[in-house]
Amino acid sequence: MGIYDFTVKTNKGVEKNLGDYKGKVLLIVNTASKCGFTPQFKELQELYKTYKDRGLEILGFPCNQFAGQEPGSNDEVQTFCRANYGVTFQIFEKGDVRGETAQPLFKYLTEQKKFEGFDENHPIAAKLVEALKQNFPEYLEGDGIKWNFTKFLVDKEGNVVARFEPTTNPASIAKDIEALL
Amino acid sequence: MVKVYSFEACPWCNKVKKYLDSKGVEYEVHDVELNAEDAAACEKLTGDTAVPVLTVDDKNYILGFDKAKIDALLGL
Repeated sequence: MGIYDFTVKTNKGVEKNLGDYKGKVLLIVNTASKCGFTPQFKELQELYKTYKDRGLEILGFPCNQFAGQEPGSNDEVQTFCRANYGVTFQIFEKGDVRGETAQPLFKYLTEQKKFEGFDENHPIAAKLVEALKQNFPEYLEGDGIKWNFTKFLVDKEGNVVARFEPTTNPASIAKDIEALL
Repeated sequence: MVKVYSFEACPWCNKVKKYLDSKGVEYEVHDVELNAEDAAACEKLTGDTAVPVLTVDDKNYILGFDKAKIDALLGL
């Protein structure tokens, strides 16, 4: 079983076999409408614009499993969201990414690349860990997806070569993408 | 008429709508994910892509869920 054996549905309901992406570098991300905490759509879109002509595809999988759990008090948290309009990379059908109900693709990805910790220097790291402890302590265990915007980098042969946690900004993955193009 | 620019999966948008409901304020929902014209109008108004945005006159607006500001703008 490899990455190209998975079939998923786009947000328009069209079936897409990941084998269609053979020869491309892939960045597979669980996305969420962003509400202040993990604002990474914009940087993902910038990566896509920069590298799509050289063979990068970004595949976004919206997931609501972490919704409504914005950490911090109302004073610290922005009380607005950004929709994902303006994003031109492929967005797929909404689905779960962790636990029993996780989509097979994400079970596979998290088996291929284990959780190796957050970047504790990232500005959201401490808040994220605190929010997880409060709301989903079990999420801190094991290799499952911890939060929105976990990113998996796949090379042109379909090998899952890296996993980046929500505490890694998309812009800082540019060098890893370039190395595979 | 009060307009609320919003999208469905936006928890702060839903808080604004619920708050207006609780005050008996009528409003129009403009969904920025479903309707490109609404998205463009909202971005033109605020210069940004964030929602919820509440406006009465298409000039003054409130970004985010802020009860005090909503009360002041609508005279609640």
